Amino acid sequence: MRNPRTGWLLLSPTLIILIVFGFMPFLYVLVVGFFDWNVFAAEAGMRFNGLGNFRRLVFDDLFLTSVGLTIRFALFAIVSEVVLGFLLAQMLTRNFPGKSVFRIIHTFPLMIAPIAVGAIWRLLVIPGFGPVPFFLDRWFGLTYQIGTYPDQALATSVIMDVWHWTPFVTLTMLAGLSAMPREPVEQAKVDGASRLQVFWYVTLPFLRPVLLTTVFIRIMDAIRTVDEVWMLAGGGPGTRFTGIYIWRVTSPGASADWGYGSSISLITLYLTIVLCWLLFIAISGRRKGEVE
Amino acid sequence: MKKLFTIVLALAFALLANMSLVTADMHDWWADAAAPYAGATIRGVSESTPPSNYVADVLAAQFTELTGINVEFETTSWDQMYSKAINDMEANTGIYDFVYIEQDIIYSYLAQDYLVNLTQFAADNPDLAYEGYDESAFTSFADYFKNADGDLFGVPMEAFVKVYLYRKDLFEDADIMAAFEEEYGYPLAPAESFDQYADNAAFFTAYGESMDMDLWGTTVQGSTGHPASTYEFLESIGPSFGLYNWGINLEAGSAQSANGGALDGDTAVEALSFWLSMLPYAPPEATSSTWDEVASSFAAGRAAQGWVYGENAAWIATDESRSAVTGNVGVRLPVTAEGVVDAAMMGDGYIGYYDGGAFGVPHSSRNKEATLLWLQFIGQESVQAEWAAAGARITHTATFDDPLIAEQDTKVDGYYTLLEEQGPLFAGAPPFPFHAQVREVIDPFIQRAILGELSPAEALSQAAMAVDEELSRLGYGM
Amino acid sequence: MSTGVQRRALRTVTTLGFWVFMTLLTLIPIWWMFVVSMRSRVELFSRPNLAISRLFLENYSNVLTDSAFQRYMTNSIVVSTSNAVLVMALALLATYALSRYKLTGSDNIFFWLITNRMAPPAAFLLPLFIMFTRSFRIGDWTLFDTQLGLILLYCVFNLPFAIWLLKGVVDGIPIELDDAAMIDGAGLGGVLRHVVIPLAGPGLAVTGILSWVFAWNEYLFAANLTSVEARTITTGLAEFVTVTGTNWGELAAMSMITLIPSAIIVIVAQRYIVMGLTFGAVKE
Repeated sequence: MRNPRTGWLLLSPTLIILIVFGFMPFLYVLVVGFFDWNVFAAEAGMRFNGLGNFRRLVFDDLFLTSVGLTIRFALFAIVSEVVLGFLLAQMLTRNFPGKSVFRIIHTFPLMIAPIAVGAIWRLLVIPGFGPVPFFLDRWFGLTYQIGTYPDQALATSVIMDVWHWTPFVTLTMLAGLSAMPREPVEQAKVDGASRLQVFWYVTLPFLRPVLLTTVFIRIMDAIRTVDEVWMLAGGGPGTRFTGIYIWRVTSPGASADWGYGSSISLITLYLTIVLCWLLFIAISGRRKGEVE
Repeated sequence: MKKLFTIVLALAFALLANMSLVTADMHDWWADAAAPYAGATIRGVSESTPPSNYVADVLAAQFTELTGINVEFETTSWDQMYSKAINDMEANTGIYDFVYIEQDIIYSYLAQDYLVNLTQFAADNPDLAYEGYDESAFTSFADYFKNADGDLFGVPMEAFVKVYLYRKDLFEDADIMAAFEEEYGYPLAPAESFDQYADNAAFFTAYGESMDMDLWGTTVQGSTGHPASTYEFLESIGPSFGLYNWGINLEAGSAQSANGGALDGDTAVEALSFWLSMLPYAPPEATSSTWDEVASSFAAGRAAQGWVYGENAAWIATDESRSAVTGNVGVRLPVTAEGVVDAAMMGDGYIGYYDGGAFGVPHSSRNKEATLLWLQFIGQESVQAEWAAAGARITHTATFDDPLIAEQDTKVDGYYTLLEEQGPLFAGAPPFPFHAQVREVIDPFIQRAILGELSPAEALSQAAMAVDEELSRLGYGM
Repeated sequence: MSTGVQRRALRTVTTLGFWVFMTLLTLIPIWWMFVVSMRSRVELFSRPNLAISRLFLENYSNVLTDSAFQRYMTNSIVVSTSNAVLVMALALLATYALSRYKLTGSDNIFFWLITNRMAPPAAFLLPLFIMFTRSFRIGDWTLFDTQLGLILLYCVFNLPFAIWLLKGVVDGIPIELDDAAMIDGAGLGGVLRHVVIPLAGPGLAVTGILSWVFAWNEYLFAANLTSVEARTITTGLAEFVTVTGTNWGELAAMSMITLIPSAIIVIVAQRYIVMGLTFGAVKE
């Protein structure tokens, strides 16, 4: 009754657009990744380099540091966002005065362009005109300079990301929670389950698909982050995440190293896929059938 | 009342200048020469700075009126500007008919043969050569845009030197002067040696603290997230100690002392150590400051002295809507080590950075003729003075003598005179076709030195090694 | 009895207190941006003060009267809206296909679709630039610097997200409903129009809204693949950062203005966002 050909027909516009604008550039990057190609080299042009670029990146301190920083950034940010987002969503399932106003205000940061978010936070934290270092110093005697202390720069990026993206998690969690049927929870309570048990055995399994998707989307976006952190700290020590490093390496105004930049992108893409896949297995492995 | 009179005078003068420009003869010449191209649109890319904005808003409109050729400007940020221009020229797409060429990137562009030889092109098209445009009218800054044969590849549109700025109101305050002399045993004055600079910095930082003022002793362009810090060290601090050309020996293809370089040598270490020792006396934003933020800090009155790019000197000294220190800005040559000025006078080395930019025509342009007319239009003598007054930039020798500039000069404490007379002591970036690539390699080491993760000697020796590696990778090495 | 009432009141107060606190955390950065937008350049560097001292509207009037700004704004609106509509339509068709038809390797296709969002954008700028300027060239026309180029390109990161989101929603619509409609004589179009779209409505709406937001906020591609005609508002923001000083006041003013359309959308569409973002949790 359902002819697969119709299915392919329905799928084809999506496939065409993604192949042209997603896969073709990817193929280009894939090829260039095996070449030595810097526009400003003494001898211009591309030279086949085999695995040379990949050999180089294994010993590239800046790249390795950037991977470490990106993972730390993504981990801190996403864990905080999920925990915070879940708590907020849980609170929003109850009724209290002014709920919808609070919810709307809570979603505002999500609507601000990352580059503007970076600008706002830079204005908040740069000594000289930012109120944050000023009041931290005045009230608590703390020295807060993201240009001098890489850890503070990383922490600021994480906090900025949490500020910006927690609303997204709250919304997805809220959607998941509102779709949840009441009966299993009531039943579990009647059976004498504690709150923690209800959460662990009833709520969490039900939320798993939402949780998984939310975390995936956040991981992908966090690893790709460029604009906001760039605007905040310029991508110096503490915030030179992989996305920013790739930008520096490929940017014609900086390294213009297109071959090497492509190889780093490939590795980054590969690592992202593996990470998502491992996570997928870890979270859904036992109950794979149900998730799909 | 006096102010009103000045405004009226300035307006009358501006009108007069405009009218002289659009006298019948020239009007005809431009219209005739441009006739085949009328209606065409030429497009350029530049940063949104006062000189560029003047070109985009004022000169482009005048040019279109005369010739019927439309000029479209894409304004963008500094990083983006390079990316877009280079992508366009490298892929030979022809999006831009003219591009902004900062002095330091010209050698890379010439090495890649991106640009049209303007001298040659004008000679080949005598119909298009405007007689009011004369390549020899430019200051020596234009030499940076010439090849070995003296042919010009870019029409200079702005030029500045990085100078020493100090707060006159502080340096000439009787109480402060007395306090300084009591503490240091000699009179307070704008710094002429590094020791004096350090004393001034320490003194004003302590003074700011004791008075609970937001005042520090010096600026440092020490952003740990931007190439600006490397630039300040390599192009301003280094040369003033006698470290030239980034310590890279172009012939030997090396930055290491062992191979004839100097980036890890004693002079370089001394220069970096001095610069880093100024950080405690700089405002707390110094480690986040790029060029524009250093200027903003100084304009906010947060530093008593410092190294500031010349393009900012004029607005800091005169623009009340942006600066809190108008009328109190002193301008001097940057501090140098003993013998550096003498050597520079002998043509041996330089004392600081002569920066600026030009407009050039990429080979990929499809409107080269119309663009040549446009570049001659902005390069002609008669538009220079007003442009200089609006954008604080001077590219023609004759502009220095213009009454408009003479009047400005007194307001900016003789900055223009300094540019005219001592300009030759400064130099542009070294002739490296790998400018941005190698700078990018040095950046992380300078940044780590600023953070204190590496000592100056460690940072520079590792930087020199990394530079050598990059040079050989690019094919310029040993 | 009274203790129960008291406990409930206490709980409401705690909840309210918590939310007031959260709201402050959310709003302080936005408030600070507003404060900056109300200051002249010279005032910005005075000691930080969270209060607005006077009504200073010059930053706003400068931004609003700039013809470039008006063009950027129009472009942003056209690009984001068209992209959102396109993404909604394509994603609906795609998810319907993936959900209802037995397509060989559909799991792999689904996963491949998703990976399109994982690509680090910086490395793709060069191939995209070449593609936009060379591959898509008809006479003098190229895809570079056109609204169409951005509309199509933004599908690359919006479609994976949309398909993922809608997949669960469409899966959740009982296939029996399709069958019933078909037995009543509806064709594919009829099934989509009368069964799938009404039931997937909220999901579809949220897909559109979030795609709109992602497209509205995109910077890196817009900055590199447009020049004058098709520049969007986010690229306009970056223009304020220059060698001779960042114009923070106007940057903040422009940010505040760009916030308005998104804020309106969020407020109006708030209900649908929550109803639609279920990622397949609706399986009743």
